[in-house]
Amino acid sequence: MSNDLSQPLVHIDDFHMKFGDKVVIDGLSFDVARGETFGFLGSNGSGKTTTIRALLGIYLPTSGILEINGRVFSDDYGARLGYLPEERGLYKKESVLDVMTYFGRLKGLTRAGAQKFSRDYLDRVDLADKADVRVDKLSGGEQQKIQLGVTIMNDPELLILDEPTKGFDPVNRRLLMDIIEDRKKAGATVVMVTHQMEEVERLCDRIVLLKDGKSEAYGTIDEVQNLFGGRTVRLKYSGTVPDSPRYKVVLRERNYAELALDDAVDEADVLRELVSSGLVVRGFVAAKRSLDDIFIQVYGEAEGASAQAQAETAVN
Amino acid sequence: MARHNLGTVVQFEFTRTVKKRRFWIATLAIPILLAIVFGLVFASSSNTQSLSEAQKNNQLAFTYTDASALVDPAVAKALGGTVESDPGTAVERVRTGKLNAYFAYPASLQKEPVKVFGTDQGIFKNGSYDAVAKQVVILSAQEKAGSAELSAAIQGNFNTQSQTFKNGKVSGGLETVVPPLLFLVLFYVVIILLANQMLASTLEEKENRVTEMILTTLNPTTLVVGKVISLFLVGALQAVVFAAPMVIGYVFFHDQLAMPNFDLSNLQFQFWPMLVGALLFVGGFILFTGVLVGIGAVMPTAKDASAVFAPVMIMMFIPFYIVSMVVSDPGNLIVQIFTFFPFTAPITAMLRNGFGSLSGVSAAVVIAELFVFGVLALRVAVHLFRYGSIEYSRKLSLRTAFARKG
Repeated sequence: MSNDLSQPLVHIDDFHMKFGDKVVIDGLSFDVARGETFGFLGSNGSGKTTTIRALLGIYLPTSGILEINGRVFSDDYGARLGYLPEERGLYKKESVLDVMTYFGRLKGLTRAGAQKFSRDYLDRVDLADKADVRVDKLSGGEQQKIQLGVTIMNDPELLILDEPTKGFDPVNRRLLMDIIEDRKKAGATVVMVTHQMEEVERLCDRIVLLKDGKSEAYGTIDEVQNLFGGRTVRLKYSGTVPDSPRYKVVLRERNYAELALDDAVDEADVLRELVSSGLVVRGFVAAKRSLDDIFIQVYGEAEGASAQAQAETAVN
Repeated sequence: MARHNLGTVVQFEFTRTVKKRRFWIATLAIPILLAIVFGLVFASSSNTQSLSEAQKNNQLAFTYTDASALVDPAVAKALGGTVESDPGTAVERVRTGKLNAYFAYPASLQKEPVKVFGTDQGIFKNGSYDAVAKQVVILSAQEKAGSAELSAAIQGNFNTQSQTFKNGKVSGGLETVVPPLLFLVLFYVVIILLANQMLASTLEEKENRVTEMILTTLNPTTLVVGKVISLFLVGALQAVVFAAPMVIGYVFFHDQLAMPNFDLSNLQFQFWPMLVGALLFVGGFILFTGVLVGIGAVMPTAKDASAVFAPVMIMMFIPFYIVSMVVSDPGNLIVQIFTFFPFTAPITAMLRNGFGSLSGVSAAVVIAELFVFGVLALRVAVHLFRYGSIEYSRKLSLRTAFARKG
């Protein structure tokens, strides 16, 4: 096992995965440094979950290197891993405390340690009185809280969250964000598999964009934004935004719009054009292109709209 | 870590099974039923016994007619009987309660029954009429024979002790057959009791969507082996609970329950048949367990699994259709096929082992075959669990599962 802290915690090199004749992953390579929060982005079916499952030994890769801490994953590492899979569940017929204790024991905690963590955590999430209640008697939101508790109960050094906010209500979404922040402060490495761009921009240090099993972009958010070039103008206004060859209106609301500009276009020219068209401009901020824009560009309008819709559902 | 996890899995699986009310309802249903039956038998027996005792002190008043000329009037009188003076109205007098009981002994006891009429005294006490009617004849016959020994000989109330020899040594009879066949009984009990639980247990990870969390903290082999061990313990607990009333009844209430005598001291536990029986049991258990786990891993739900599970279970019972052939003609081709076909092998071979018709070579081949197929089935089951349980709501394609490198 590698103890070299300068080495990446997760190392994937030239990973290929085929199911039958279907190529799912085609030469994917990226690293996740220790202590960073990493966004693993892609549309539905792009191979994100397959990559994570191969990394965690659930699938055997067709070829390539997939390592955590310098070695191929084995269940021994489970004691240092917190994994929230896309497909979630708990033993429904058992009590909350029994389920949490069981997973705690499997993750290397003593019985007393697992029970102490469980009771403290249940207290923190206002479920202290549900310790002896069967899991299937809890509401969906309460079950999500238990699921999160199980994920972090071993103070994992690596937290892998596959579509972490999928199906979460706003309360649990906030709880999840708090947990991620806590783990980051504790020096843990966090890998978020998602297509929620807002969360990625807020939390992630670096990202990889996956499309059809290949990496489309890889680096810090700034690097990816620079790679795709262009800028976004966030515009507050009264009136009607005219069409123009200088920009493309990517978002249009009643008094707010976002315009995508090519690198060659000067924002000042755009502002002049808008004002001269009679538009009352109340705010004009030029910035690098958002990840949402990039996502839409990479995956197409349909996926982008889908991702946007999901993001809004999660937020609301 | 693996050993720690194995212990954790065994403890979790065992505890959660025995903590369920449903488990105890199912487990205690049979002993409670047995206890009720034993209770009824005990009550009946006690009643009959106390009635017999009472009969000795308070004679049962009855009249009788004797066409057989077997009844000794002195014996009948001693038991409370008098010759019926008006047989034509005797039954009517019993019916109207004017006469307590009337026995009509026919000319031939071999061809006709003794007709017994009595006033109703309740379901248990009514039995005393039959008992007295028979006792009159038995004691009369003993009087005629003039010897208790002769009477016992006529009734067959004596034991034999036989000894046979094989290759110059004393060969066993039923005393040697029974002990190895205990493994057959145990095999049935364990598989029948646990098969559904085994199937449901491996489906549970899939149905509860916990497979990925499990597979990233635990080796699937550890999980499957842990489940097998815990279910074996559960089965052992159930077997103890089932057997407890019978053992308690036999040891403490043997006479009251009118249980047949088993002279266990006569049983002969021979080393090789017992060893072969034990190995056949373990090999068969591993094979059936592996297959059931595999079915659970492939199928998305218990309902889907039960359709495949049924034929496997039926194969356990097929050898009993040819049990007489297994005993009397073990060289028969069908018996040979059943002996070596993996799913019928445990039962057929255990029967033949018990009856002494399984040669050493055949036993070695069957045992080796069961262990090889059993371990293979468990390995395949673990592989299928690893890839099948991740399919969650879909049935796993075997082609897909085995196409993966593994």
